[in-house]
This record gives sequence, structure tokens and C-alpha cells, in this order.
Amino acid sequence: MSDPRILRDPALRPTSTGTGAVRISGLSKHYAIGGKAMTVLDGIDLAIRPGEFVSIVGPSGCGKSTLLRLIVGLDTDYDGEIRLDDARVAGTGLERGLVFQDHRLFPWMTVAKNVEVALLNQKLPRERRDRLIAEHLALVGLADFGDAYPYQLSGGMAQRAAIARALVNEPKVLALDEPLGALDALTRVKVQAELQRIWMEAGTTMIMVTHDVDEALFLGDRVVVMSSRPGRIARIVDVDLPHPRDRASPLLHRLKDEILAELTREPREDDGTLVSFPPRIRN
Amino acid sequence: MTPRLKPAALALLFPALVLGWWEWESRQSAGHAYAFAPLEQIGRSFVDMLSDGTLLFQAGASLQRALTALLIGGSIGIAIGVATGLSRLLDRTATPLITTLRQVPILGWLPLVALWFGNGDGAKLLLVSLSAFYPTVLNTQKGMQAIETRYAEVGRLYGFTRWQALRLIAWPSALPLIFTGISQALAFSWIATIGVELLFSATAGLGTEMMAAQVAARTDVVLVCVACVGVMGFALNQLFGLLRARLLRWQPPIRN
Repeated sequence: MSDPRILRDPALRPTSTGTGAVRISGLSKHYAIGGKAMTVLDGIDLAIRPGEFVSIVGPSGCGKSTLLRLIVGLDTDYDGEIRLDDARVAGTGLERGLVFQDHRLFPWMTVAKNVEVALLNQKLPRERRDRLIAEHLALVGLADFGDAYPYQLSGGMAQRAAIARALVNEPKVLALDEPLGALDALTRVKVQAELQRIWMEAGTTMIMVTHDVDEALFLGDRVVVMSSRPGRIARIVDVDLPHPRDRASPLLHRLKDEILAELTREPREDDGTLVSFPPRIRN
Repeated sequence: MTPRLKPAALALLFPALVLGWWEWESRQSAGHAYAFAPLEQIGRSFVDMLSDGTLLFQAGASLQRALTALLIGGSIGIAIGVATGLSRLLDRTATPLITTLRQVPILGWLPLVALWFGNGDGAKLLLVSLSAFYPTVLNTQKGMQAIETRYAEVGRLYGFTRWQALRLIAWPSALPLIFTGISQALAFSWIATIGVELLFSATAGLGTEMMAAQVAARTDVVLVCVACVGVMGFALNQLFGLLRARLLRWQPPIRN
């Protein structure tokens, strides 16, 4: 990817690898809570293009994190189908990565070692492995911090190290579960810009769950808006704006208002999706 | 006074006061001078024992006994702790027994051990190893059982085998508790070493020397040995603290 202009326009962005297409169809997920089945996700259909950045927003409990766990295979109990490049997803696999909200770096390993463990089960020659580690630390701006222990990093640096670990396998799809949720507002804005650059350089398909509508719009080619109980896709918003983006863009602001309106919309009576709670007793 | 010297000076404050009081007691009467050997006499015995090699020999024998037992009892403790920490079946079968046996003080085994093994080196090693075994087995087990799902999930994402998960996640995350177990075991085995040497006064050791000195009415020699046991135990603890800090340097420093 030598020509930066190619990166800036989603239409021109190369899908040269031709992989990383995720197709979710008829997906439902139930939990048993106190002996009663509860539907967490209901009839999710979503097709994600290779190299696309898809943001998912929705109220708490809409099952968006569960959806990511299903995609990466940490949870395998569901109805429906998830396919990556036409192969059905079964269990975890190195072609699908996940960045958690808490960085989950192993505190007993240096940053470089933490990245290295992701390559543990890839049969790679030593030099190639070392180069991959160095390249990915550089990609997230931590080239000089390979020997640091996680406790020595700031929150933003730790999360960037976690992104390096997730990307070092060169996964076709990277799921990000509120990766910036624990960061302060200022760091968050900085790491968002970093993440945009990393995504543009790596060309990996990314699916990010977030609570932050600004963040979803700033990064996403599309924003999936979910509703809760059960979790369903309420709306998919196209963000037709090339990367890297300008936060001040009027389009982003208009779309933000629309999405917030969707998220704060009063559920209609005929939705039939409301869980009925026992009436509150008043004295 | 430099800031580094200050804690050392503070640590020596009470010993200096005790020594002053001691010297004062020893000068009260001949009887006092027997129970509280004058500092000068203790000092002379210390120099004598040092120059004829007695002190080094006896202290070396005790140290070797304590560390050998720590190695034996500690490694068996860690091995069983790992096994019972990983296997629920083993935990349910072995832990109640270990917990029950642990209620018996080391000295409680003395009559049986003396009957079976006599009062030689083997019997001493067995008892001291036992005192090192309990703290390591229990702490290791607790450490291995406390593996966080958060980290186990990372292992699953990268396709860790059972062995890789054990080596790279369970073991290192249990290490701080294992080290706590070893440092307790170190203190217990030093104390138990001197204890069994006093009671089985055969073969070399500081405890044996103390017993012999008591019989010979040499309070000064007893006191040299007591001081030696105290200082060595303190030094062992400090050295182990340094080792622990080095090996667990990935932990954030603890602020007081």
C-alpha cells in the first residue's frame, strides 16, 4: 500500500487479499437465566465486506459484545450461521482476532513477549517472527516499549499493545469490543485516530462495538444500530465519507443526530419485544 | 545522617537499648552474671568460636539442613499444590488429608519419627521438610485455582494447548502466591531446623551447640548461638525478598 490516496477512498481501497468477508445469517442466541430461556440476539443478518470497518452501537444488553464473542468463537452455542470467506466459523482461530475492553496483556510478560505469544502456534522462522513483532509494535507506536511490562504503560499504550497483539497474526477479521471504553476522553480521541491509521495500513476487516456514537461514526464505513431485548439490528447507517476523516464534517454530525434519535426512541407498544416487569409497588 | 542510613539506625535502636540493660543486669551480682553473661564475655566467646571455626561449622550445618529441607519439602509442596490446584478430583481427595495433618505441630511428630528413624540427619531432614511442605502446598494450590477467565480466554484466542496455558498463564499467574508460600516455608524451616537440633541433639548444628553449651553452663555460648540464629534468619529473609523482587519484577512496586 504505497499510494496513500488509495487508502483514503473506501471505493478505491484494494480488496487485493480478497478475504475477510463475514456473513452472518439468521443468527440467534439464547441464554438460560434462572431456568428461563432469554433471547439475547434474534435474527441477525449482516454481510461485511473485506477490509470494511463496521461499528456497532446499541443500548446496554443488546447483545453486541455477545455477537463479537460468537464471531471469534469464544462462544459457540448459537442458532444460525457465521461464515468467514464462505467457511463456517467453528471455535477460535488465528484468522479471527479480538481486542477486549480491558487490554488483557499478561502482566508477567513484557510487551514484546505479549505480542509474541499470539504467534506461538504459527510455525514461523525466528527472524520472520521477530520482524513481525517489531513491525506491529511500530505500527501501534510502541517500537521503544517492547521491553516494558504492562504495569509501566498508560491505559492508551496498553490498549495499543493489545491491538498489536491482535494484529500480529494478520487476522482476516479483527473484532474490537469497546476497545477504547476505559480510556479518558482525550486519550480516546487520540487512539481513535491511531486506530483509523492502523486499520488503513493493515487493511484488516474490523468490527467494533462501542457506546460512543461519535467514535462509531468517525471510524465506521457503516454503523449498525441495535435495539435490545432481544438484540436486533434496528438500522444500518452508511457513512459515505472517505478516510481519514474530519471530525467536524457536517455529515457526521447529521448522522449522529439520527442515530441518537434511533437509540433514544421510545419503544412502540406493537414492538412486542418488551419484557414485562412486575408493576412497582407504591406506598 | 543520609536517608539510607536512617532505617538501619532505627533498626539498631532497640537492640542497643536491650544490650545496655543487659550489661547493667550482668553487673548486679554473681548470680546475675551467670544468667546474663557480660557482653565482654559473650564477645570473647564469639571471637573464639569464630577463630576456631566452631561457629562457621555449626552455622553451616544448620543452614545446609534448612535449605536442603526447603528444597525437598518445597518442591514436593509445589508439585502437589499444582496437581491439586489443577485437578478437582485430586483436590477433593488430598486436600482434606493435608489440612488435617497440618493441624499436628511439627513437634507432635517427634516421638513417632524418633521411633521410626532415630535422631540422625534423616529424621531431622524429614521433620524440617514437613514444615516447609505445608505453606508451599497450600499457597501453590490457591494460586493455581485462581486463574482468571480473562487470561484463559486470551489463551483460547491464540489456540494455546493445555500445556501452553499451564506454562504461560496458570503458572506465572500463580507465582506471587507460590513465592509467598516459599518465603513462609523458608522461615518455618529455619525455625524447625534449630528446634529439631535442640531436641535431637546429635550431629552438627547451632541447636546442638546450644544444647551442649547449656549442659556445660556456658550461657555466653548459648547467647552467641541465639544471636547467630536470629541474624541468619533475618539475612535469609532479606535475601529471599531480593530474589522475589527480581523474579517478580513484572509486578507494580508496592508503595507503603
